[in-house]
Amino acid sequence: MLEEYDGRVRLVFKDRPLAMHTLARPAHEAARCAGAAGKYWPYHDRLFAAQPAFRRADLLAYAGELGLDRDAFAKCLDERRFASDVERDIEQAQALGINSTPTFLINGQLVIGATSLEEFRSIIDKALQERR
Amino acid sequence: MGTVASYSRAVKCQSRCADGSSRVYYSSIGMVLALLVLTCSPATSRALAQVELTWSPSMVKGAAGAPVTIVEFSDYQ
Repeated sequence: MLEEYDGRVRLVFKDRPLAMHTLARPAHEAARCAGAAGKYWPYHDRLFAAQPAFRRADLLAYAGELGLDRDAFAKCLDERRFASDVERDIEQAQALGINSTPTFLINGQLVIGATSLEEFRSIIDKALQERR
Repeated sequence: MGTVASYSRAVKCQSRCADGSSRVYYSSIGMVLALLVLTCSPATSRALAQVELTWSPSMVKGAAGAPVTIVEFSDYQ
């Protein structure tokens, strides 16, 4: 979809690990560790492909697969370096009343749950028209 | 954390008030429902605080100047 709307749409990923998913928060923190090493999106894609295998050993293994420095990654993960950043995303989601995933904001319009590509196109096209 | 955008809490109401079902007040929970409706009215929504969203540049895909921004809140698990 980003290719289809090249230059006209950007995607921002925000962390919203749900409390019931006990392995999710370390995974979100790990993704940010990967991001600090320039590999956020490859790691993000790896996590979605591997879910729900998010034990510490798994998270380190994915980092290794992507060529990240395993020791530095493990340190980042164990220090919980990005815990507060993930927490900030959760707080922002809660402030907006977002309690389920995925939830999207398309130029501020709330879209809850998995949505068809057609529906996305319709909302994006409308948003683009409004910006003209 | 390089980017900030502001979103109104009014977006919350687009889903909660969509079906209009909360506009019936016959029971003891009527006051609660009434408050919900009032909270979701456009005039009240405008008075609600804006929610500032921040994000890391590494968690963004696409052109910085794109006219449409999709913010995805998601859970890996």
